[in-house]
Amino acid sequence: MNDIIKVSNLTHDYGHGRGVFDVSFTVKKGETLGFLGPNGAGKSTTMRHLMGFSSPQSGNVSINGLDCRKSTGRIMEKVGYLPGEVALPDGLNGREFIKMMQGMHKTKNDERTAYLLKKFRLDTDVPVRKMSIGEKRKLAVVTAFMSDPDILLLDEPTSGLDPLMQEVFIDFIKEEKQRGKTILLSSHIFSEVEALCDRIAIIKDGRLVSTVDAQEVRHGLHNIMTVEFKDKDDLLQFCNSGLELSGRDDKHLRCSVKVYDEDINAFISAVKCLKIKGFSEHSVTLEEYFMHFYKKDRATGGVCYA
Amino acid sequence: MLSLPLLKQSIKSNAVMWGSMTGVMTLLCIQFSSLDMTRSLLFTIFYGMMTTILPGIYVLVTANKLLASQVDRGSMAYVLSTPIKRSTVTFTQAFYLVNSLVLMFAIQTGAHLIVNNISPISFATLGLNMLKGDLTSKMIIQVNLSALMVCIALAAVCFMFSGVFSSSKYAVGLSGAFTGVSILANMLAMFGSLGVEGLDKFKYLTICTFYDYQSVLFSDSDWMVKMIFPIAIAVIAFGIGEIVFSKKDLPL
Repeated sequence: MNDIIKVSNLTHDYGHGRGVFDVSFTVKKGETLGFLGPNGAGKSTTMRHLMGFSSPQSGNVSINGLDCRKSTGRIMEKVGYLPGEVALPDGLNGREFIKMMQGMHKTKNDERTAYLLKKFRLDTDVPVRKMSIGEKRKLAVVTAFMSDPDILLLDEPTSGLDPLMQEVFIDFIKEEKQRGKTILLSSHIFSEVEALCDRIAIIKDGRLVSTVDAQEVRHGLHNIMTVEFKDKDDLLQFCNSGLELSGRDDKHLRCSVKVYDEDINAFISAVKCLKIKGFSEHSVTLEEYFMHFYKKDRATGGVCYA
Repeated sequence: MLSLPLLKQSIKSNAVMWGSMTGVMTLLCIQFSSLDMTRSLLFTIFYGMMTTILPGIYVLVTANKLLASQVDRGSMAYVLSTPIKRSTVTFTQAFYLVNSLVLMFAIQTGAHLIVNNISPISFATLGLNMLKGDLTSKMIIQVNLSALMVCIALAAVCFMFSGVFSSSKYAVGLSGAFTGVSILANMLAMFGSLGVEGLDKFKYLTICTFYDYQSVLFSDSDWMVKMIFPIAIAVIAFGIGEIVFSKKDLPL
């Protein structure tokens, strides 16, 4: 069994178009899957099912081959969870909260806890209710990782952290990846998803729209080549060369084509004999790729010019 | 079944409310049982009203804090992200709620026993001329036991609403309505028993009816029979709260 986290055909309709619909994905052992989507797309809903807080209306959700709703307790022995919200139990200070969580996890790893506290520069003598959002988030991070779980479910982990701490956090997750942890990270921040994930699943309106390999994204998913010609005949000839057009501007004699890495030779042979005035290349980043899915729906059929 | 770290947290976060209610109840008890001016009202006012009103307020606030409010605020997510089962959570919280009430009554009863041993109160002072002698320690314990059972039933109903609803506003709203009606109807029924005609019918509207100090004072066994009902209500209500909380979808 190589698939640690397995979501198959998960559906939970909350009405008004909210919820998740037929979502399927897996996270393999040692893999980091980024779960990217705008607010209200269903990221947290999926997490909620993985945590056993909700039962699927249809479909299955399992971790380590155990049903997330039926065997929640056993699954949680191996899972570290960072909730999207930072509502900590009241009446405690940082140290007491850590102690309570250690007690409930039934693990006491003081060395690791001290390491985490130092890494995230957290003062634990402050009462929880007097902490800023960032401090509460850091406390939640420490408690999620202190029992050193094998599987990490992180729901928008860096929200509320300052840029410096975000960096510390990203470095820390990289370390955890090195140590072979299986991670599901939901986020709407492209840079962290790009920096951390092996694969990226994009979710929109409760439906999984695309799963991409992060390697491809780092390399640019595809390039947009914009070529400016000296005369119109060449422009027309180029447009008919069979490359995938993504834009054309007859007034300025410009034309843009979408070129994947494997098509680059076809592109070069198409322009080889033409008179070119100018030339520019633009790599599509994850952000643009994401926006492309996101915007497609807003303006009817209006695919954005990426 | 019981999670000690969670129990500790519950004790800590409810300490202020528990402490102040226990303090007020104990002080009132000492005052009513020791001062000449108020002694005659020990049963009508203190045991008639205070032993349901003060614990009633306590269970209303606390039952909500133990489950519904933590789900509402989202902090339950931290508790449930550990290997602790939902059934352990409900059991621990119900355990806390029941035992905090037991301790509250134990302290108050202890105080009353001490005062009553130093200066015993006679039935004549209480206006019960048909009875002879003084109020005994045994009676004090029995009266408090009877009151405790009704308070545990109140607590169980509040706990049930807290487990059923994921939003504080519904949990508090319904628990408040239930506790409020129970206590108010009990007070009206008491005026009925003091001679106001028609008001005695209110005793059918409240579970406080099962708390019967008159029966204890007259040394019959009615109060013991009546304890069966609050115990049954408590078992059923805690059971419903526990089952629904363990099965429902949590908006965390």
